[in-house]
Amino acid sequence: MQRPPRLLILVVAFGVAIAGTFIFAFKAGRHARGLHVENEPIRPWMSVPFIAHTHHVPAAALYHAIGLEPEPHDRRPLKAIARQQHRPLEDLVRDLERALASAGHTHPAIEPPGGPAP
Amino acid sequence: MREQILAALSQYGSPALFAVVTIASIGVPLPVNLLLIVTGSLVAQGVMPLWLAIALASAGSILGDQIGYAIGRWGGTALVSRFGGMLGGPERLAKAEAHARRWGGPGVFFTRWLVTPLGSVINFTSGISEYPWMHFLLWDVLGETLGAALYIVLGRIFSDRVLALDAALGDFTWMILALLAAVVLGWLLWSRLHRP
Repeated sequence: MQRPPRLLILVVAFGVAIAGTFIFAFKAGRHARGLHVENEPIRPWMSVPFIAHTHHVPAAALYHAIGLEPEPHDRRPLKAIARQQHRPLEDLVRDLERALASAGHTHPAIEPPGGPAP
Repeated sequence: MREQILAALSQYGSPALFAVVTIASIGVPLPVNLLLIVTGSLVAQGVMPLWLAIALASAGSILGDQIGYAIGRWGGTALVSRFGGMLGGPERLAKAEAHARRWGGPGVFFTRWLVTPLGSVINFTSGISEYPWMHFLLWDVLGETLGAALYIVLGRIFSDRVLALDAALGDFTWMILALLAAVVLGWLLWSRLHRP
């Protein structure tokens, strides 16, 4: 089988690189606009104070919603809290979601555990 | 892996930060940029001071880079003599080494913070081409400190938008890489078409 000429390979690679530049520029711009979106999804690695910070609500309200006493140095991720409380992570996330909703915040999306990477 | 790393940072703070950036700088593909952004958010929440976060992230990255350089320098020759033929033979390798020496400093500097996906490769090739270690260290310290400060400060500013910021910066980095590739390929194409 005859190999394609080097010039053709070069032209195709150049075209792909140009296309890639525009595609990633578009995607970066779209994500940059996302910086103005109100809330971020809850992820299993996040701690309660982290979620409270990203949603601008008091951490104590979230701790009470999941049946815990607020502790200033508690940085455990949700996954660890769910394991300790012997309940599914989705359950814990739902309680937090309700607490956030009652504080006047709504989520764009709640990612499932091990959900898609951004 | 990503979830575990971020959970470790959230729970253990600075030791996890140092360990992860060191391992990643050696060449293990870990989500370091997101880790630094989340660190910035933790700084904003008062979990750790800004200076400590930047110092630990820089120190860990520099340590990992030096290990990568050492692997290239003292283990690279054996790899080159074994697989050199696959890379285009000794003549092409000598050319690549000359390029690495010529562009070594800026190459090291920009891959620390702007085109980070190439960072580990540059550590390795700098070692193979025996780019002077003191020069490598100097550019590495400058680049890694700037990179750590940049990502952590951005994470601190957008402390409630870490995932969106990571996605935007990730695509921006790939855009820069694609643009660089387009410039190099465009130049090759131009010189080929205008060859006498």
